[in-house]
Amino acid sequence: MTTPLTLVVAERPDGTPVLAVSGEIDMSNAGALDDALTRSTGDGLLLVDLSAVDYLDSAGLTVLFSHSSRIRLVANPLLAPVLTISGLTEVTTVEGIASDGTATGSDDS
Amino acid sequence: MTRGDDAERGPVAAAGAGIFTVDDEVGRDLAMVDWRATPLGPPSEWPQSLQTTVSILLSSRFSMWMAWGPELTFFCNAAYRRDTLGRKYPWALGRPAREVWAEIWDDIGPRIDAVLATGEATWDEALLLFLKRAGYPEETYHTFSYSPLRDDTGAVVGMLCVVSEVTDGVIGERRMATLRDLGSDPSVVRTEQEMLAFACRQLDRNPHDLPFTLTYLFDDHGRARLAGATGISAGHPSAPVTLPLGDPGGVWPAAALAQGKSVLMALDGTRFAGLPSGDWPEPPAQALVVPLLQQGGVPHGFLVAALNRYRPLDDGYRGFIELAAGHVAAGVASARSYQAQQRRAEELAELDRAKTVFFSNISHEFRTPLTLIMGPVQELRTALTDADEQVRQDLEVVHRNGLRLGKLVNTLLDFSRIEAGRMQARYEPVDLAAVTAELASVFRSAIDRAGLVFEVNCPPLAEPVYIDRGMWEKVVLNLLSNALKFTFEGSVGVTVRAEGAHAVVTVTDTGIGVPAEEVPRLFERFHRIESARSRSNEGSGIGLALVQELVGLHGGTITAGSVAGEGTTFTIRLPFGSGHLPAGSLVPPRAAEVVSATADPFVEEALRWLPGDGVAAEATAPAGVSTGAQPSASGEGAPARVLIADDNADMREYLVRLLKGAGYLVSAVSDGQQALDAIRADAPDLVVSDVMMPRLDGLALVAALRADPRTAGVPVLLLSARAGQEASIEGLEAGADDYLVKPFSAAELLARARANVELARMRGHHARWRNAMIDSLQEAFFVADENGAVIEINSAFTDILGYGPEGLPYIPRYPWWPDESDDPQAHAKVAEVFARLVGDGRGSAVVPVTHRDGHRLWIAATFNDVSDPDTGRRRVVGTMRDVTAERYLVQRESALAALSMRVSQADDLTDALCEALEALQGVWHARQVLAAVWNGDGPPDLVCVPEASGWQDLPERSREKLEALREQPPLRPVAPEAGGAGVTLEYPGGLLAVWIDLGQNRPFTGEDQTLLALLAGHLGQGLHRVHQLDQQREAAVALQRAILGPARLPSGFAVRYEPAGRPLEVGGDWYDIVPLAEERIGIVVGDCVGRGLEAAAVMGQLRSACRALLLQDAGPAQVFSALDRFAALVPGAKCTTVFCGVLDTATGDLVYSSAGHPPGILAHADGSVVLLEGGRSTPLAVRPGHPRPEARCTVPARSTLLLYTDGLVERRRRPLTAGIDQASAAVQAGRSTPIEDLAADVMADLAPDGGFNDDVALLLYRQPAPLELAFPAESRQLAPVRTALRDWLSRCQLTPKLIQNVLVAAGEACANAIEHGHRHAPGRTIRLRAVATAGSLHLTVADSGRWKPPQPEANLHRGRGVALMRALMHEVTIHPGAAGTIVDMHARITR
Repeated sequence: MTTPLTLVVAERPDGTPVLAVSGEIDMSNAGALDDALTRSTGDGLLLVDLSAVDYLDSAGLTVLFSHSSRIRLVANPLLAPVLTISGLTEVTTVEGIASDGTATGSDDS
Repeated sequence: MTRGDDAERGPVAAAGAGIFTVDDEVGRDLAMVDWRATPLGPPSEWPQSLQTTVSILLSSRFSMWMAWGPELTFFCNAAYRRDTLGRKYPWALGRPAREVWAEIWDDIGPRIDAVLATGEATWDEALLLFLKRAGYPEETYHTFSYSPLRDDTGAVVGMLCVVSEVTDGVIGERRMATLRDLGSDPSVVRTEQEMLAFACRQLDRNPHDLPFTLTYLFDDHGRARLAGATGISAGHPSAPVTLPLGDPGGVWPAAALAQGKSVLMALDGTRFAGLPSGDWPEPPAQALVVPLLQQGGVPHGFLVAALNRYRPLDDGYRGFIELAAGHVAAGVASARSYQAQQRRAEELAELDRAKTVFFSNISHEFRTPLTLIMGPVQELRTALTDADEQVRQDLEVVHRNGLRLGKLVNTLLDFSRIEAGRMQARYEPVDLAAVTAELASVFRSAIDRAGLVFEVNCPPLAEPVYIDRGMWEKVVLNLLSNALKFTFEGSVGVTVRAEGAHAVVTVTDTGIGVPAEEVPRLFERFHRIESARSRSNEGSGIGLALVQELVGLHGGTITAGSVAGEGTTFTIRLPFGSGHLPAGSLVPPRAAEVVSATADPFVEEALRWLPGDGVAAEATAPAGVSTGAQPSASGEGAPARVLIADDNADMREYLVRLLKGAGYLVSAVSDGQQALDAIRADAPDLVVSDVMMPRLDGLALVAALRADPRTAGVPVLLLSARAGQEASIEGLEAGADDYLVKPFSAAELLARARANVELARMRGHHARWRNAMIDSLQEAFFVADENGAVIEINSAFTDILGYGPEGLPYIPRYPWWPDESDDPQAHAKVAEVFARLVGDGRGSAVVPVTHRDGHRLWIAATFNDVSDPDTGRRRVVGTMRDVTAERYLVQRESALAALSMRVSQADDLTDALCEALEALQGVWHARQVLAAVWNGDGPPDLVCVPEASGWQDLPERSREKLEALREQPPLRPVAPEAGGAGVTLEYPGGLLAVWIDLGQNRPFTGEDQTLLALLAGHLGQGLHRVHQLDQQREAAVALQRAILGPARLPSGFAVRYEPAGRPLEVGGDWYDIVPLAEERIGIVVGDCVGRGLEAAAVMGQLRSACRALLLQDAGPAQVFSALDRFAALVPGAKCTTVFCGVLDTATGDLVYSSAGHPPGILAHADGSVVLLEGGRSTPLAVRPGHPRPEARCTVPARSTLLLYTDGLVERRRRPLTAGIDQASAAVQAGRSTPIEDLAADVMADLAPDGGFNDDVALLLYRQPAPLELAFPAESRQLAPVRTALRDWLSRCQLTPKLIQNVLVAAGEACANAIEHGHRHAPGRTIRLRAVATAGSLHLTVADSGRWKPPQPEANLHRGRGVALMRALMHEVTIHPGAAGTIVDMHARITR
């Protein structure tokens, strides 16, 4: 069973291209995300919408890092700790989480 | 026919047979019984009570049978079928019990009737029952209880029998007792007869296994003789007094047994009519006849053992009889060898005595008359120089033959001296060539006269050779005389040369020679070569034998080479130097002497052989240097003996003549030292000594004599040329008895001599009396001076130690002192006692000493300090007793006791063997003791003290020794050489060889061998006993564990069990965990009344019943309702308290009920504690039929549940609630402790000082149970693993954020394991385990590969993964290892 992952390319009402990702991202399917990001061309930053992703690990992070200069992200609070800890929030814009949203394993408040 | 196996209908399971499904085999056969044909009817119509009882019966693993209904219809379970029923299965099922057990109904019928009538249970222990389960009435023993069974109305309608068969134990113990008795201390048994009587007494005490026995021994006349019988009268036709071996029609097959074969015989036919039956109703039907084996020989005889017809002849029975025969055989062998040794020793002693007497007689009977012949003849020859020629010739004949006879007697005396070790040799360094040539020259005239060429070739040797001149003369003269006697033409030659470290002397002749086959016998004493041509037929055949002995005394060898008709060569080799000679017998070189008087008889004799020569050599026997005797002038008693010491030969001869003439026995020596030696060897009645002498002068001689208590009383008359008062005073002060100044008159000398002898005799009377008394003491007696030197001993001393008065004084360290290097312990022991002897001067001790012939003795010595009344000097007098035999007896007993004790205290067989080896090591102070057990084709199992590695690492020599032992029959010690000994014995499962390595070539004596045989015998029995106990214990432990509870627990649980009654492993308490359908688990903790085995038996039944009910999906209330009824039927089950619950592990929902049991304790994650006090009712069977309540609760996530029995919390003088509070606190405090550790902590916290005094059972559970996943290392496994983990984490009731963090961290660890650990071996297993406690999570991801430390540059996202793990979890540890990598992760749960 491969990890469930859906990748949909759409446009926002303002014409901005969006890659909408839903499901879970791990080493078994990070390649598919990389392919989708590589294929999508266009001017300006590509918006990658991760709000429907409920699992993201270092394999997915590595793909996002490799495309960090041409993407911006929309995420959900569940992903906040990994995005912050990995430092991705410092090299690309992430919407949908608190900018200071740090999290550690010992703190689930 | 009650079973439904009608061919037409075929086997049809009876309706309602569902109750039989509890057991596969017996249940199936029960189902096939045609129950309609029995009073019980079809099972579907059976009352509930019968159904329940049958299902309990079938589910129990205890051996049980039951009977129900008017005909007492028979049921049994699988254990009973296996242990007891035998061939009666399945025939017995459904039959009336009276029919099934017809043969023992007389025994058991009344018991069953009693149970049915009174409703009270029976109890029988090891009851003898003759069962016909194997086709014959069999002697069996059973321990059993009959208890009543009641129907639904409570009426007694049947009975249940719980039984265990103890036949093997009872019979094994009985046989063991016989073997033990047979092996019990045979050391007091000496003769064969005593031994057989002893053995028969032991065999007779076991008329069960040995209804009668006959012991036959083979005699020398080809017959077997009846030597012992038990259980049968002597005159019985089957016990003939003798059995000819060759008679095939004999009652017993003696011939086959003589070849060592065992024979099993049927005891039928008329000759066996009217056999005694032992303790049984019927006489035996078979007998096993076994040989009494003898090592390396025909068996001693055989043992007829009639067999118990009520037992099969299995390996155990056969082994028992063979072991018993082995004991009898060993006893016979030991008694016979003891007798043979005894006889040999007596014969040897007798022979020695006869010889000594014979030679002593020769000395007196020959020498005295010879002297009396030779003296007068000599005088006659002088007186009759002018007499008639015929008279003179006759005189010469008498004279010559007198010399010959004297020579022969002297030779014989030499022999007796050599044999008695009394040959007083004095070895002085000489030029052997010169001495030998001079001796040869004596023979020159005789050889010339015989017309032979005499070739003497004796160039001087570079080194001196040590010889005793007297002995050497005899050697050379004998050889030359021999050569001349057998040589008629040609030559006789003498050569001396050096050859290596030896001087070689040859005497060669060209005589008649000897046939080759006679050469080896040349030196045999009294052996004469027949029909040899010689110059004379005279000769004793003793000369060459003496030559060989004398050469031997010089440390040399003599060989003879001879060719018949050509001649003979004798070759003597003497070593140069003196290292090979006893140091005490060396003397400095003396002035060369002329050939002594010894030569005369040889030459005289030789000349007489030569034809036509009557001229005798001049006889010059000097009277002064030999002893002589004449009738005592005084005529009173024995003639007094006088020793003369003077260096002037004329003076010596004058004194000799003078004193002899007065009737004294006179001997003379030429200096003071010789005088001292002569006096010490044999003190004379008077010493007449010159003052001025070489080596030791007269005054010094007197001083030396007075200093030695043995010679202090010898009177000394000093002669001196020095006149004057001072000289005389000086002499008397030195201790001389009288003083005579030269010149003195003959009369004066004789008067002084006579006065001194008489005075001394009067004075000596006391001393002689004392000496005679001391000599007559049975105990050894000694006197030591202040330095410990032994200066006086009696004859018992010599008898015990072998050291005689000739060696006095014995200076420490005494020659009997054990050698320090050979036996340091014995040496030290003697040193310690010696220190006391010199220091305290009084005491007693038992010490090891070495006899002169080398054997070890133990003596008990007692000594005391005295003051010499004459000199005032300190002396120690002591007595000694030989306690060797007593000591060995004690040693044997204590060794046996030590061995038995150590073996009996051992835990198992190997332990017992180790203990035994240590005991053996202790007995002999052995360097090492090895034991090898062969029980297959492979290398043997090795046990070794001190411990060593395995068989393959043993030195080759040790392995060979053990291998060689395998050929030996059991219990026969082997000591092939000094330094060790071995023995074999039967070992459970094979042959055991034991090798005792003494080291240092220490000898292993006959005593040691006896001891080893005895110890080995006991060891064999001991090991056998331990083996049996081992097996019994293993069976008991296995049985106990089977009824205790599940060995494998579902995860999430921890249990503890502590029975009060050690060494039992079970008690009345129990716990049980029963996995049910879906995710439900039944949990039970119960407590039967009482403790120990009886409570355990009840517990086992209740546990099984409870488990069976839970498995049928009953709820706790239903379970208790059924148990109430069941417990009413089981004696001792009433009032049992139980907690029973069914837990849904998915939800934590718990349904439970308590039958009077203490409440469960539930500790929540937040620290609150709840007692499970609902669902409470009475203990089991108190109010049967009363409804049982149930309660429900939830075991929330990360809470801990504790169930227990009252042994954990109940203490004297303390309310139960205090204990429950204490337990609650312990669980609360440990709610974040791993569950196994918590179990240990609770037991430790609650244990009172001195441990629990009641059974304790404890069960812990923490919700949820740990998650355990194993999956192949493939990336597509990540998603399902995550799903399972997410699901489990949500059961733990954690925040979504913590769940996400844990998921990512675990995901990274799994990804690492897949990517790195398994890059080259995809698909191998990865294990993930997650455990929750109240306050923490613990995850472990383990793979079987190798992780590389992250290298951020090379692999950015791998470093990112590890960083994520560390950031998201509280603590991460990565343990790389050879077998794989383990990642440990902790997260704290806070609220």
